[in-house]
Amino acid sequence: MTASSSNLMIEARGVEKWYPNGYHALRGVDLSVHRGEVVVVMGPSGSGKSTFIRTFNALEDFQKGTIRIDGNSLGNDLRQIDAIRREVGMVFQQFNLFPHLTVLDNLVLAPTLVRGRPRAQVQAQALSLLDRVGIKEQAQKFPGQLSGGQQQRVAIARALCMEPRILLFDEPTSSLDPEMVREVLDVMRQLAHEDITMVVVTHEVKFAEQVADRVVLMAEGSVVEEAPPAQFFKNPNHERTKRFLDQIL
Amino acid sequence: MNPLLRRLRADLFATPADGALSLGLIALFSAAALGLVQWASQKAQWAVIQANSTLFAVGRYPEAQQWRLWLLTALLTAATGLSWGLLRSHPRADRDGQLWPRNDRLVLGLLAAVAVWLPWALRLAPALQSRWWLLAALLAATRWLAGRFGSHLSRPMLRLFPLVWPLLYLIGMVLISGGLGLMPVSPSQWGGLLLTLLSASFAILLCFPLGVLLALGRRSDLPLLRWTAVIYIEFIRGAPLITLLFLGQNILGFLLPGGLAPDRIWRAAWVLTFFAAAYLAEAVRSGLAAVPKGQAEAARSLGLSYPQTLLRVVLPQALRVALPAMVGQFISLLQDTTLLSLIGLLELLGVARTVMANPEFLGHNREVYLTLALLFWTCCAALGLGSRALEKRLDPQTLSRSATRP
Ligand SMILES: Nc1ncnc2c1ncn2[C@@H]1O[C@H](COP(=O)(O)OP(=O)(O)O)[C@@H](O)[C@H]1O
Ligand SMILES: [Mg+2]
Repeated sequence: MTASSSNLMIEARGVEKWYPNGYHALRGVDLSVHRGEVVVVMGPSGSGKSTFIRTFNALEDFQKGTIRIDGNSLGNDLRQIDAIRREVGMVFQQFNLFPHLTVLDNLVLAPTLVRGRPRAQVQAQALSLLDRVGIKEQAQKFPGQLSGGQQQRVAIARALCMEPRILLFDEPTSSLDPEMVREVLDVMRQLAHEDITMVVVTHEVKFAEQVADRVVLMAEGSVVEEAPPAQFFKNPNHERTKRFLDQIL
Repeated sequence: MNPLLRRLRADLFATPADGALSLGLIALFSAAALGLVQWASQKAQWAVIQANSTLFAVGRYPEAQQWRLWLLTALLTAATGLSWGLLRSHPRADRDGQLWPRNDRLVLGLLAAVAVWLPWALRLAPALQSRWWLLAALLAATRWLAGRFGSHLSRPMLRLFPLVWPLLYLIGMVLISGGLGLMPVSPSQWGGLLLTLLSASFAILLCFPLGVLLALGRRSDLPLLRWTAVIYIEFIRGAPLITLLFLGQNILGFLLPGGLAPDRIWRAAWVLTFFAAAYLAEAVRSGLAAVPKGQAEAARSLGLSYPQTLLRVVLPQALRVALPAMVGQFISLLQDTTLLSLIGLLELLGVARTVMANPEFLGHNREVYLTLALLFWTCCAALGLGSRALEKRLDPQTLSRSATRP
């Protein structure tokens, strides 16, 4: 990738998307995320949060507007897309671990296959990542043998093993039992202190207050409000944000 | 009470009605089994099988060249023993497996007993009998060797080992048909079990990649590809195999590039392949549908290309799900080879019909059909057992649990 002099890691301008059935899911979304920033995206269900962050690694296409990832514009060039995906990791609500591979092989697969790194080296890195998220002992197990919280931590470690510059989270704790939410948020909190750029879709207000540099509210396919957490939660500018906060707080 | 008795009682005699039903069925089964054993051991005249055992095994394959088939059998036996031992010495990462589980010892003992008893019962020449003993010993020895020293193999070696099988298939083709310095044996001289297994294995091996491609084609975003696959699958599934076999004899000569189907046997084998591929494609398609969309998304978001995603993430899971259905297809394919006798090929059923038509052995149809049934049953049971073992190794439990979590 060509290095960019600017600090802008994600730059979305006027992004519009229609699903094949004609539904207008994104209606001109703008967002800028700087290197090392943590941006939390909130908003009611169906407002287009998932659709929006999934455009950042081309899991969804879009019809209008531009998106630049670390200076490279996302278009139809497939090789460009592959290059961008290598730098953008993603953590899903459903974990999406590969059930037919051991935990360790879940981490090792992509770096060896995509980056062509030697297996032994990746394995060592994978084990230290698993250690960091607190599940080194489970390296030889299969995902189905782990709890939800453990699986999500493996999923985070798997994304990190590709050494991405940007990490996207799509409601990472929404399908977890309450007692497991914390162990995942703790891992994410640690990450936030490093220089990796994070965009997190979540409804965890406390996490947003403590960790986010900015909080964004999406509604009906566009960004309604964008503010530092203190202002966002205490003193939002928009009526829509107040209504949303009333519902979740 | 002894646990076995208790279990029997719970399973068979839980209520008076259950008990009566069980007793009735047991009486029925034992009467049938007793009758069969009595007939087989006293009334039946097995001379028809004993005299024709070579014909059943290999058809009219020239006697002077039969050493090639023995060599191939020995190679296959050794490869089986090695694969078996390697599987045991490399249990899955999350489990500790035994090197010699009880079932393995049981199977090996059973095979050895058959290798001693069957050649004797068939009144084979002593030299031939001892070859069967040697084969059994070879299986045990390779199984032991691979179990004992398999763990010393390096990872790349271990990954390359399965390539032994396709390699062996090619070697087997050369051994059977000749060439490369061996005297050619024309396909019209192949027959019996040899021809049955050859056509079935050929079709199974080739219909697998073809079926996977068809299944992928059917899900493709490209309309042309999708429609080609759909039309092909529906056309094949709409026609009886026997008509396709006759059709194939007449048109495959023009359709396939010269040399691929030079002979009736090869044309029939290709028809079997094309036929099975359509059914297999449907099995694979259901497997593909069972893999959640998130799997491919996760793979793509890690930077895997489309082929990498397919080969390393989606297909392994889809094929695991489709495995029982696929093996069902393979088993019917094996049985469908009997239709080849209707286009004049002497596979097992064809041989059986010529034997029964021989005035010397008139009136012994029962012995012949029973033998045939047993042979087919053995082959199908082996396929079924193998697939069950594979399924267990791929462990459905660990697979489904994380895939279906909300
Ligand atoms: N594949 C699709 N086809 C059509 N509409 C879709 C599709 N996926 C999502 N949508 C619609 O797009 C809107 C935004 O969805 P999504 O981005 O998942 O919202 P959020 O993540 O904020 O809950 C929803 O109204 C949803 O119904
Ligand atoms: Mg969503």
